[in-house]
Amino acid sequence: MKALFGALLGLGLGLSLIGPSPALADGFKNCTKAPKTSWKPASDAEAAAKALGYEVRRSKIEGSCYEVYGVKGGKLFELFYSPEDLKLVHTKAK
Amino acid sequence: MPAAVLVWDRPLRLMHWTLAASVLIAWFTANVFDTVHEIAGYTALVVLVLRLLWSIAGNRYARLHNAVRPPWVILNYLRRMLRGETGRYLGLNPAGAAMAVALLLSAAVSSISGWMQITERYFGNEWVERVHTWSSNLVLGLAAIHVLAVLLACVLQKENLVRAMITGKKQLR
Repeated sequence: MKALFGALLGLGLGLSLIGPSPALADGFKNCTKAPKTSWKPASDAEAAAKALGYEVRRSKIEGSCYEVYGVKGGKLFELFYSPEDLKLVHTKAK
Repeated sequence: MPAAVLVWDRPLRLMHWTLAASVLIAWFTANVFDTVHEIAGYTALVVLVLRLLWSIAGNRYARLHNAVRPPWVILNYLRRMLRGETGRYLGLNPAGAAMAVALLLSAAVSSISGWMQITERYFGNEWVERVHTWSSNLVLGLAAIHVLAVLLACVLQKENLVRAMITGKKQLR
């Protein structure tokens, strides 16, 4: 029992001390270095996702990406588009 | 050596520390490690359901509906606490009970709204996302106050309350 407490506490404290290591991270936010003023509109990214057959729920800016929330075949996806050229940089299945 | 009495039973202690660990882990993995974040959230949700059951099935100190006092009692207690008068409670004092309820409720809102975000129905829903963010911030803020208040009560009552949540025992005196 005490060992379990110790393990849980240690895990929590350890995580809080070292912080999340970027190497293992799956938070995606780097898509372009182009300045924001040159970005294409977010609606174009949504249109691109629609063209791929996704039901688009929403889009938002995540770091230097357009993150599009799309549903296809009952599955959930986060699509990351580069605002510079609307290239699909990363697809994350939820 | 005065007699020790078991206040926090094993399941309750396990729930307490599992929830604490889940909250910490979920906080530090948000937007970074989705899988770990989701496991921590589900764990918290399971603990919250068990804690609700333990409020019925547990011992008298686990019964939150017995410990919860009206707002003026809580305010009076906080006022006295700031003057250094805490009294001594084997279970939760009025402020502690209010904090427990606030923490459990905000953790419930946080974990349920987080789970909703990965259901097909609410995926991408901005409103749910906002509720999740705010309730999660609230959980962490309350948890910080909870820890500080427990440490303050330790000093004022000259009693190691953290150890009591590990061993479950308090001295009768």
